[in-house]
Amino acid sequence: MSKIMVPLGPQHPALEEPESFNLLLEGERVAASQVCIGYNHRGMEKAAESRTYLQNVYLLERICGICSHSHSTCYVQTVEDLAGVEVPQRALYIRALIGELERIHSHMLWLGIAGHEIGFMTLFMYAWKDREIVMDILEMLTGNRINYGMNTLGGVRRDVTPEMADKIREAVGQLQERTEYYSRVILGEETVYLRLSGVGKLSKADALRFDTTGPVLRASGVGRDVRRDDPNGIYPNLDFQVITDDHEDVYGRTVVRVKELLESYKIIRQILDQLPDGPLTVKVPNRIPAGECISRYEAPRGEDIHYTRSNGTDKPDRVKVRAPTLANSAAIAHMLDGGYLADVPIVIAAIDPCFSCTDRMVRVTDANSGQAQSMDWESLRRYSAQWYRKQGMDFSRIPLR
Amino acid sequence: MENEVLQKIAERFPSVAAEQAVVKHHRIYLSVPNELLVEALSFCYEELNFRHLCTITGLDNGKEYELLYHISKDDGLLLTLKRTAPYQEPVVIPTVLSIYQGATFYERELEGLLGIKVEGLPEGRQYPLPDNWPQGEYPLRKSWKPKQAGGAGQEASV
Amino acid sequence: MKVVDKLITWARCKSPWIVHFNSGACNACDIEVLCALTPRYDVERFGMVQKGSPRHADVLVCSGPVSLQQRERLVTVYEQMPEPKFVMAVGTCACSGGVFDGCYCIEGGVDQAIPVDMYVPGCPARPEAIIDGVVKLLSKLEASEDGK
Repeated sequence: MSKIMVPLGPQHPALEEPESFNLLLEGERVAASQVCIGYNHRGMEKAAESRTYLQNVYLLERICGICSHSHSTCYVQTVEDLAGVEVPQRALYIRALIGELERIHSHMLWLGIAGHEIGFMTLFMYAWKDREIVMDILEMLTGNRINYGMNTLGGVRRDVTPEMADKIREAVGQLQERTEYYSRVILGEETVYLRLSGVGKLSKADALRFDTTGPVLRASGVGRDVRRDDPNGIYPNLDFQVITDDHEDVYGRTVVRVKELLESYKIIRQILDQLPDGPLTVKVPNRIPAGECISRYEAPRGEDIHYTRSNGTDKPDRVKVRAPTLANSAAIAHMLDGGYLADVPIVIAAIDPCFSCTDRMVRVTDANSGQAQSMDWESLRRYSAQWYRKQGMDFSRIPLR
Repeated sequence: MENEVLQKIAERFPSVAAEQAVVKHHRIYLSVPNELLVEALSFCYEELNFRHLCTITGLDNGKEYELLYHISKDDGLLLTLKRTAPYQEPVVIPTVLSIYQGATFYERELEGLLGIKVEGLPEGRQYPLPDNWPQGEYPLRKSWKPKQAGGAGQEASV
Repeated sequence: MKVVDKLITWARCKSPWIVHFNSGACNACDIEVLCALTPRYDVERFGMVQKGSPRHADVLVCSGPVSLQQRERLVTVYEQMPEPKFVMAVGTCACSGGVFDGCYCIEGGVDQAIPVDMYVPGCPARPEAIIDGVVKLLSKLEASEDGK
């Protein structure tokens, strides 16, 4: 059978970011694939060297709009450690609260995107509608829907009042009810199971071999979570479960994310109950003593790592960021190989890629004639939905309320 | 926990100055002789269960290049093994892909941003710099400065 | 202006099709653009539809500063759009480069690469602001003599 090379990306309408994949096709199956990233490289690590520690909080927060709080928390942890300051407990609790709210917003967003990629548009609209509940809470707490600007060196910038806490409790109740409903639809509905199981297989051994992280790793049966293994802030005081699943495929990744949402609600309730009184910030000097520090944080997509080296001045000598998507990128090619072209969108979406963190497009080339035909994400997604509808997987038949 | 790991490394590699290591809660920063690095990583992977490569940091400290291999194990311990590379061109280091298969992008980043040649890394598109980036320009080197302050950068802005 | 031209302008104002392009953004503006399509904001009530191909679109919605790698692709996408075409820069970074100004891999705002008709500032720009931007763009189109 002749082989066709399909280039995919980087202009990419259904999702948010630029990336590009070269897929070598044998009929309907992907024989080989290549991931090309770097479209979003902005040179922030170099820019961080010429800005002060405080300026960097706001620069690094904009590494990624979805996990902005993760990046800024991870960074301020390194600086606080280098400066040797102890952050007030209340500030740590508020950081964790925003962190968990961010996880909810990110997982909800993913759930919607996943629905969109498999042609289950109702799920997309439902999930994004409910996501607005958490966006309202984040806006109430921080003043902005995304890029919260909540962290500062030595603490947080805004307080949580008892009235706000009541509103958060109410919102979490609503979200819990909706998530339980999704969990019934997704986990109980056969169409969803048939569509997602066996897609984008990544065995436990491979997940470890490629150093994957976050829900991708946990869906392959490895219970690794920085919040439990190497906890920072107040996580040791909280009672929660690290969700794992043994499906080792896209279905597993969906199960993990939905269950993680429920865990996050639990965490938020505990945070609100335990929230201690006290100051919000502690003074951090402008000049940070020379040294080095590495910090880890469980972002919605996995383990986020920041390394900071200081040289005694008010600017860092080196800031290194390892975003979770970069760790998962190496495994994408492996997950695509041997699968169907129609599964490409959902497999890529299932790692919840965030290439602005890491630094996305699809093109199709005939290996025999060398002819290239461009396929954009939208047409591939539509192709995918139609291909599966022919196989009898029609999401429009699922009864929804 | 931290000291136990350090002791095991010191026993296996007597030439490693384990007493100079910086030890903090769940963190160890340890310098190893350049030629021993791959062997040390292999030992940590096989014997000490450091199965996860967090990332590789490459930096220019003004005197030489430093390469930091951050590896972790499931109990939360994060070990940083450091090696150096002199300014002498060409800077060549061996790959760690045989031990940690997730290292591809991290090593490619070293090649792209610091100009350190990683021997044994399979051919691939440069990462993360753009395709039209000029040869021989490595932004993370301290000697490299963007052409105009506040502007676009090097000649690459076509 | 001929009756036919009037009819075309009228039709165009009733259903502007947009295509979204990320030229190096942090995702924040991108999800807000997507948010505008979802039930709370629902831009489709204005006849706006997000299209996958630039060849079907009237409005190019750009987010993020222009990275060196994406510049050429942005220009290609812009060139593929049929006339008359409009460009909206969404977010502070797309307007001026924002917080990334001075980074070596950033060229600056979207206007450094292609002509921009509408600037929507904000970090990120709120969905309301994005919708307002498109509506203002439409009134500009409606007021124009020949549709451009």
